[in-house]
Amino acid sequence: MDHSSLEQNHIQLDHISFSFGETVVIRDISIALQRGGAYALIGKSGIGKSTLLNLIAGFLKPDSGQVTIEGKQVTGPREQTAFLFQELGLFPWQTVFQAVAMPLKIHGNTSDIPARVLSLLAELHLDQHKDKYPHQLSGGERQRVALARTLVGNPDLLLMDEPTSALDAMTKEELQSLILRQTQARNTTLLFVTHDIEEAVLLGQTILVLNEDGPLSYLENPCFGIQNPRESLAFYDETIQIRTLLRVESR
Amino acid sequence: MKQFLKRLLSSQLMGFVCFLFVWQVLHLLLNTHTVPSPLDTIACFFSIPFVLLKHAGASILRVVVAVALSLLLGIPAGILLAVNKTIKRLFSPLLYFLYPIPKIAFLPVFMLLFGLGNPSKIILIIFIIVFQIMLSVRDGVAQINPIYFQVMDSFCVSPRQRYRYLIVPAMLPNLFSGLRISIGISLASLFFAENYATQFGIGYFILSAWTKMDYVEMFSGILMLGFIGILLFNLLDRLESVCVPWQRRSVDNRN
Repeated sequence: MDHSSLEQNHIQLDHISFSFGETVVIRDISIALQRGGAYALIGKSGIGKSTLLNLIAGFLKPDSGQVTIEGKQVTGPREQTAFLFQELGLFPWQTVFQAVAMPLKIHGNTSDIPARVLSLLAELHLDQHKDKYPHQLSGGERQRVALARTLVGNPDLLLMDEPTSALDAMTKEELQSLILRQTQARNTTLLFVTHDIEEAVLLGQTILVLNEDGPLSYLENPCFGIQNPRESLAFYDETIQIRTLLRVESR
Repeated sequence: MKQFLKRLLSSQLMGFVCFLFVWQVLHLLLNTHTVPSPLDTIACFFSIPFVLLKHAGASILRVVVAVALSLLLGIPAGILLAVNKTIKRLFSPLLYFLYPIPKIAFLPVFMLLFGLGNPSKIILIIFIIVFQIMLSVRDGVAQINPIYFQVMDSFCVSPRQRYRYLIVPAMLPNLFSGLRISIGISLASLFFAENYATQFGIGYFILSAWTKMDYVEMFSGILMLGFIGILLFNLLDRLESVCVPWQRRSVDNRN
C-alpha cells in the first residue's frame, strides 16, 4: 500500500505541522489512509498522536499543510467523522437509549429512531440496559454505549483515542473484537491511538509508528483479520517487531 | 409492632413530634407568655383555619411570582456569565459587590419606585433571590466537563442543540440547589416585605399579632409559615425528581 500517494484516498494529510506555542508537536507529516482500512497509531508519550487525531477530527487547525477527507479540506468537525474519546464523555443525564439516539436527532435523521437505536443496542448487547444512566453501568458497558453513540450515524471515519485503556483484560478483548466487527461491517475507516502494542496488532491492518522528527513508519500487519490472532506465531513476531522499532526510536 | 415503631421513628411526623416536645419543654422552663404552649398554639391554629389560609395564599402567590420572575431573569443571566468572557469580566465584580449586601436596605427605594402595593414587595423578593439563582446557574454551567463540549463539537451541533443537549441539563442540579435556598430566603423575607401597606400575607399576620402581643396567634402564624415551607419544598422535590431523574437514581444507588 502506498501511504503517501495523492490518488483516491479517503483521508489525506499533506505536510502537516502543528505547534502548541513554541513547542512543535507535529512536524511535516504526510499520510494517506484508504477507505475501510484499520490503522493503529503508536509512538512514545507526548509525541503528538492525540494531536494528530484532533487535527483529522477538525478540533485543531494545522499551522501548515492540509487535511482532506473525501477530497474536501477539513476546516472543522464533520458529521461523518465519529470520535471515541478516552474519557468517553457520556452525559450523566442521558440514559443509554437517549445517548445513542442523540446523534440521530442532532443530524435530523428522525425517521425510525427507536428501531435503529434498539437494533444497535441489541448488536452491542446493551438492550437490557437501555433505561440505565451511565453511573449504573460497568466500565465495559459504558465503553460500549460510547461506541454505539459514535456508530449509530454510520460514520465513514471512526477516530479513537486509547479506547480500551481503562478496561480489564477480558472486557478489553470483548470490546476490541466488537470494534473490529462493527467497523468492518460498515466499511468505516478506523484510526486509533494506543499505547498497547497487542491492541495495535489486533485492530490495525496497518500500524503507523510516529517518530520523534515527525515522519511515520508504516508496518503492514500480516495478522490482521485472521482467526484467533493471539494463538498465531505471527502475532508475537509482529508485537516484537513493533517493540523493537519503538525501542530504537526512543534511543 | 416493631415495624410500626420503626416506620413511626423514620417518618416526618416523628420529627414534628420531637419539635413539639422541645417547644413544650421550653414553654415550661421559661414560663413566659412570649413562648406559648404548643397545645394552645395548635388550638388557635385550628380555630382560625380560613384566616390563616387566606394569609398563606397571599404569601404563596407573592413567593411563586417572585421565584418565577427570578428564574426568567436569573437563568439567562447566569448562563451568559458562564459562557461569555466579556460579560463575565464586566459583571462579575458587580455581582460580588451586590450579592452580600442586605437587599432589605433598598426597601425605601423600591417603595418609592414601585409604590406600596404588591409590585414593590415582589420586586424586593426578586432582588433578594435573583443573585442566588444567577450564581447557581453560572457555577452549574462553568463546572461542565470540557470533554462534553468536545463531544458536542464532534457531532457538529448548532448553538441551540448545544443548549438543549448539554448546557440546560448540566445546570439543572445546581439550579435546583439554588432554588431550594432561594425559596427559604424568600419565605424569610416575607416578614419584611409584608410589614407595610398590606392586610394580607403570613408576614403581615405574624407582625400584626406581635404588635398586639398575642403570642399564641403569632406562633400559629409561624406554624403556618413552616407548613408553607413544607409544601413548597415538597413540591420542589417532586419537580426535581421529574426534571433531574439521574440525580435521584444516583442518590438511590448510594443508599
